[in-house]
Amino acid sequence: MIQAIAFYMFAVLLIAAGTLTIMSRNPVHSVLWLIVSFFNAAGLMVLVGAEFIAMLLVIVYVGAVAVLFLFVVMMLNIDFAELRAGFMKNFPLGIAIALVLLAELILGIGAYGAGVLELGTPDGSAAPLLGRSNIENIGALLYSDYLFLFEAAGLILLVAMVGAIVLTHRERATAHRGHQDIGKQNRRRPEDATVNTRPEVGKGVQL
Amino acid sequence: MIGIEHYLVVSAVLFVLGVLGIFLNRKNIIVILMAIELILLSVNINLVAFSAFLGDLTGQIFAMFVLTVAAGEAAIGLAILVIYFRQRGTIAVDDVNRMKG
Amino acid sequence: MVDLSQYLPILIFLAIALAMSAAFVFLPMGVSRLTGTHNPTANKLTEYECGFPAFEDSRSQFDVRFYLVAILFIIFDLEAAFLFPWAVSLDLTGWAGWVTMMIFLFELIIGFAYAWKTGALEWE
Repeated sequence: MIQAIAFYMFAVLLIAAGTLTIMSRNPVHSVLWLIVSFFNAAGLMVLVGAEFIAMLLVIVYVGAVAVLFLFVVMMLNIDFAELRAGFMKNFPLGIAIALVLLAELILGIGAYGAGVLELGTPDGSAAPLLGRSNIENIGALLYSDYLFLFEAAGLILLVAMVGAIVLTHRERATAHRGHQDIGKQNRRRPEDATVNTRPEVGKGVQL
Repeated sequence: MIGIEHYLVVSAVLFVLGVLGIFLNRKNIIVILMAIELILLSVNINLVAFSAFLGDLTGQIFAMFVLTVAAGEAAIGLAILVIYFRQRGTIAVDDVNRMKG
Repeated sequence: MVDLSQYLPILIFLAIALAMSAAFVFLPMGVSRLTGTHNPTANKLTEYECGFPAFEDSRSQFDVRFYLVAILFIIFDLEAAFLFPWAVSLDLTGWAGWVTMMIFLFELIIGFAYAWKTGALEWE
């Protein structure tokens, strides 16, 4: 009972927040609604027992991706009113495409609900290894059967990191003065840097 | 009783919202990227719901990989956006085809 | 169905937090309306900046350097997220899991060394 109430609360909030994400005038508000929808999706996943994925959603999406979006929105000083200019022009087309997609999806789900396929009921941990927590089961499966996919995910992360650095990193404006090399400074001895001369009267010093 | 159909409907509605967001905000690429995040979120809900209701954890593993790819996609997409803005001073995506070369 | 009774304290906490924050926001508004002190004028509703009208948008532009820090944070955040299931299931996966994670960490250390070498981590 309370589960159904929680499901409907999370689902309604998720869809409302998603709608406001794409409809907001101000992209900062869009990002904040996106964060709300991530939280509600995490709640939905807790309800079916996928606790680790819910935690990942909160940590990775809310904690990192949404903050990245917020940084970019704040970083680029953009005239957003100008970007909204085509909004109403695209509206009928967008609504039409959305209706078509929604009709297709509801038809598909209706056919599905007619009882062609029989699914089991959730058994809680969704566990091949019973008696263990969700995260332990995920670890046991991920690091035994999906080793190579996991390494590929690591490579994707590496490429994303290098790509972002290559694209956005540039030398500072002060770089022409050169970087301070503390080791070089410390290695320099007074006899290298200074010279004692004894100039005669009336003559200059030749260095 | 909440069955898998409920989850599928929520995920379908979220997917449509993402597609609609791409069409509605054709000029604002930041909102387009956010709409893509919404689409990936709906995919994740689908994967997790099937994983839980079928009693097979593979869906949750793949949800993790989708999450990884989504993070990489957001990072690279926003990096391209940042350098584009630095060159042009705008993020209108109408004339991005001039970016080649 | 899933055993959600462990989440009951969190639910109670959320309900109390929601109720209290709603009370703090809406109670003063309601009280001021009921007691008749709610009397907005044009001057009261202007934003106030040392007696002047506000000069500019309160949203100021950030530096691009924040972006690189945020991106490195995402990558290492995901890496840490992959470490959690590895750590709790190491007795089930054994040496294969251990070696896999070491290779994964090595891949990310390469990226970290690259970021360090190019000076993406420097902040001047």
